[in-house]
Amino acid sequence: MRKSLLVLSLAVILAPAAVSADTSINGFASIKAGMTTGSDEQLYGYDDTIDFKNESLIALQIKSDLGEKLSVTAQLLGRGRDDFDVGFEWAFISYQLTDNMTINAGRLRTPFYKYSDFKDVGYAYDWLRVPQGVYGLGFDTIEGLTFYRTAQLGSVDSTLQLIFGSYDGDATLSGNSVNASIDTITGITWELAKDSLSARFAYLAGKTSIDTAPVTLAPGFTVGNLYQALNANGLTPVVEAVDIDDESSNFIGVGLTFDDSNWIAVAEFTRVEVENSFIATQKNWYASIGKRFNSFTPYISYERENNDAVVSIYQPYSNVLPPQLLVPLQGLVASQERDASTWNVGFRYDFHPSAAFKAQFSSEDLQTTDQRNGVLAFGVDLVF
Amino acid sequence: MLNRLIVTMLVVAGAVSALPATADIAVIVNPANNSTLTTDELTRLYTGRSSALNAVNLAESSPLRSQFDEKGVGRSSAQLKAHWSKLIFTGKGTPPLELATEAAVIEHVTQNPNAIGYVDVASVTDGVKVVLTLN
Repeated sequence: MRKSLLVLSLAVILAPAAVSADTSINGFASIKAGMTTGSDEQLYGYDDTIDFKNESLIALQIKSDLGEKLSVTAQLLGRGRDDFDVGFEWAFISYQLTDNMTINAGRLRTPFYKYSDFKDVGYAYDWLRVPQGVYGLGFDTIEGLTFYRTAQLGSVDSTLQLIFGSYDGDATLSGNSVNASIDTITGITWELAKDSLSARFAYLAGKTSIDTAPVTLAPGFTVGNLYQALNANGLTPVVEAVDIDDESSNFIGVGLTFDDSNWIAVAEFTRVEVENSFIATQKNWYASIGKRFNSFTPYISYERENNDAVVSIYQPYSNVLPPQLLVPLQGLVASQERDASTWNVGFRYDFHPSAAFKAQFSSEDLQTTDQRNGVLAFGVDLVF
Repeated sequence: MLNRLIVTMLVVAGAVSALPATADIAVIVNPANNSTLTTDELTRLYTGRSSALNAVNLAESSPLRSQFDEKGVGRSSAQLKAHWSKLIFTGKGTPPLELATEAAVIEHVTQNPNAIGYVDVASVTDGVKVVLTLN
């Protein structure tokens, strides 16, 4: 079905009669290769054999201005790691209420982070990839409505965004892809910019459900089996404290940027909480600094992730639970503990008016399991 | 192999390319436009933060374009392209119309009361008004 969509969209693009004067087509692509620096290391989807597919992607965007302040935008994106199967990353209609107010409806990007909206457009930033310690949450798209209002407050540029919608898709949990949804997402982001400085604040809240039951805890024993056994032992309150069923969730993000065309510095802090579940409260941040030398921009960045496991879930029951239930429960809760710091060094080189070559080395120190993972990657980001 | 590639990239990056001779650039508007313009406002118009006037650009192949990007907007052409790619691929903006020649820019500004563009000072005609000179 996805393939036929691609054929259809290519047919639309290639048929000159279908493209009116008010329709623009743009695209972007990243061709990247990488590998880990050690044989037993894994990071960002790479292992120790060089891979050209994992982080490569290509996208086409069609925007059609229908006049009377109405436009429609569709962005089709295929990722190498999904065998370049094409899907709609964005698909929305936009109505300009006034010169400084716009409302968009459809499939939108969840505005968690400063780079959320364009994190796939590698050409738009200097890093080879956005810092995964902060950006690796998932839930990238929302179906819903968003409202933008831009204003000048004295000499400060203000952009306010309100968003309302829901997420229905996949989430990755302990390496397993599971069904997930977030209902009644409401959020606000506010960005202020003056000269070289900008600051951003984001708050989103919603009701998260993640189907944890298929996740395997031990051979032949899933989280669903654990829930059944706990319920059978009259421990339904434990199940309710662990599972992720319509749980109140919130996200806070704060970002600061300095960019005077010579130096570029960025830092973001995020906090994610899913109440009444085994998901640890995630407090992550990164800081990055780069310097532009004409077409050459080297940078260095540091990421920190610190998620404590919610051991309070099982502690009151430690003496009550039989070991065959306590041990997998402890394992499930402990799987959320993560204490990692990552250094990245790399550069962007603008070798062409529409393309940049990038290389980046990342070294992750995973204190939780006392393991170090290194990845070397390079590639080209371009826009067309 | 990778090491050699990186070394090559560093060498290429370090090589200073010959800069073309720089020209004074006249920022032009329609004669019917009586407003004044600061360099700050010019930057806002050419980065999509203001739509008070309809900005037009010279094509990327024009040598004057990169000079204007530096002198008028204060950024390199690559930085500006990265900036616009953020706006394009999030549906937040459309970059200024690009015209192939200075003559086309002058004609466009002459015919559109709300237009703003730029040409070499030597190319200015009576059909347009110079609001700012960049040198």
